[in-house]
This record gives sequence, structure tokens and C-alpha cells, in this order.
Amino acid sequence: MKNIKKPMDVEVKLIHPEENEYVRIGCHEIDERVEEITGFVKSRQGNLEGILNGEVFSIPIVDIYYAESVDEKTFLYLKDETYESRKRLYELEEVLEPHHFVRISKSLVVNLMKIDSIKPFVNARFLCKLKNGEEIIISRKYVKDLKNKLRGEDR
Amino acid sequence: MKEHFKENFRNYFIVVTLINLLMLVTGKIFAPEQRFGYEVFIYPLVYGALGLIPSIFFPEKKECSMKEYVIRQMIGAIMTAIIIDGVIFTGKEMTKEYIVIALVNAVGVFVIYALVNLITWVLDSKTARELNEELTAYQEKLIPRGRG
Repeated sequence: MKNIKKPMDVEVKLIHPEENEYVRIGCHEIDERVEEITGFVKSRQGNLEGILNGEVFSIPIVDIYYAESVDEKTFLYLKDETYESRKRLYELEEVLEPHHFVRISKSLVVNLMKIDSIKPFVNARFLCKLKNGEEIIISRKYVKDLKNKLRGEDR
Repeated sequence: MKEHFKENFRNYFIVVTLINLLMLVTGKIFAPEQRFGYEVFIYPLVYGALGLIPSIFFPEKKECSMKEYVIRQMIGAIMTAIIIDGVIFTGKEMTKEYIVIALVNAVGVFVIYALVNLITWVLDSKTARELNEELTAYQEKLIPRGRG
């Protein structure tokens, strides 16, 4: 008979602002369930530097909708704000790729978790509607990469 | 480059099919008694290749907007109509009947361009539907709905 696991208890407690936030898992073994949870927590980690009005900010990667390269400059787009990045797009792509980002055109890397829907556009391209209502174009050349990423396949 | 080739390859066969239809319709209207030899099978293939000349020699250098794309397509259709009519009527004396046929050909080219875009749109709608399903599954795997 298959061993059915009981659901995990979830406990959240507030800690002192000076303490480091943490996630602790108590488990009988490190199985797929635990790996999924740790993977999810890890995917929520990470910050990038962004410049706005000459000031440098630390931006949580999960809040970035997409990164775009325009005229030799790179920008990070959040829900309402846009920050400039010192990194080149290919450097950002390397950093962002494990955080569910994928390149969808020569100049743009998008956060898959911020996409609301995809619809066809002219000339075998697709229009990607983001959760903040913004629309960006997926080049036909990158549709295969997007499919592979969604299917968890390597490029 | 590979994508450009694949796109032209796909469009070529759509265009050839549509030219066949155009020849059938215009033939039935203007010359229903006309009889052809086997060489007639080559015409759609040749006209289809001529129709690809604008996009082969003037490929998109950047991602264009909807407006730019429509303008590009219209220029492409005009060039294609000129090329095809040029091939058919060069060296012939343009009678009133030929002028009508040339105009019908030009309109046919515009209709074919519109249909190619429509067919591509329908094919891409299927891809978009698949992408949306896979995207939803991807997002739900990471943040299951109804939990937390």
C-alpha cells in the first residue's frame, strides 16, 4: 500500500526586524515536495541594482516585469517604475534566467510570472500582455526558446 | 536567417495554393473556354516565387510596428503585382482586355496578401493558445491557485 503523506503544518511567525528572515522546513525526508518548496523559496530570492534619478536602489528580482536594451542602455521595468541597469542585457539574462525569465526578442528578457496572456501579432510574431497591462512583442525567432522554457526543456 | 527562410518557405506554399484559386476564379470569369497544356501547372509555382521577391530582397531589419508592417505589406503587394503583370504582359500590345486582366491580377495579388496574413494569423492563434495553456501550467506549478 502506498504511503500517503500527511499535509505539512504551516507556521508563520513575526520576528524582530534586526533578525534575518528565514524559511525552515521540518521534514522526514528531502523528497520532491520539499525540493519544490525550497526551489520556490530560492526563486523568490535575489536583488538587482537599479538607478532612478541618480539614486541606486536594490530591486527584488521577483518585482521585475522585463528588462530591455534601448540604444546601448539597459532598463528594468517594474509595475509602474523604470530603472536603469549598469549591466548589459546578456549579463542580466544570465542572472535572471533561473528566476523564470526568458529572452523573447533581441532586446528584451521577460519574467514569465508577470505574463498575463499571449496572442498572435502580425508577421508570425506574438503580443505578450503583462499583468500591469503593458504589451510587448515576442519575436518569431524566440518563440521556440519560450516554448522550451515553459516545458522545462533546455534550449 | 533560418527563421526568415522558414517563414518564406511557408508563405510560398500558401501563396502557390492561393494563386491556383485565383487562376481558377479569374479563368472561369474571363476565359471559361480556354484550354491549357501541362505547362499550366508551373505558373503558380513561378508566380509564387515572383511573389516572394520583395520579402527575400528586402527582409525586415528590425521589429516593426503594426503600421510599419501594413505599409511594408502594401509595398510588397504593389511590387509583386508589377512583377507578375510585367512577366505576363511584357512584349504584348496592351489591349483593353489585357488591361482588365492586369488589373484583376493586381487585385488578386492584394487579396492573396490579405489571405496569407489571415491564414498565418489562424495558424498563430493555435500556437498562442498552446503557449497560454503552457504558461498557465508553468505559473500554477510555482504558485498554485487557491493555496496560500
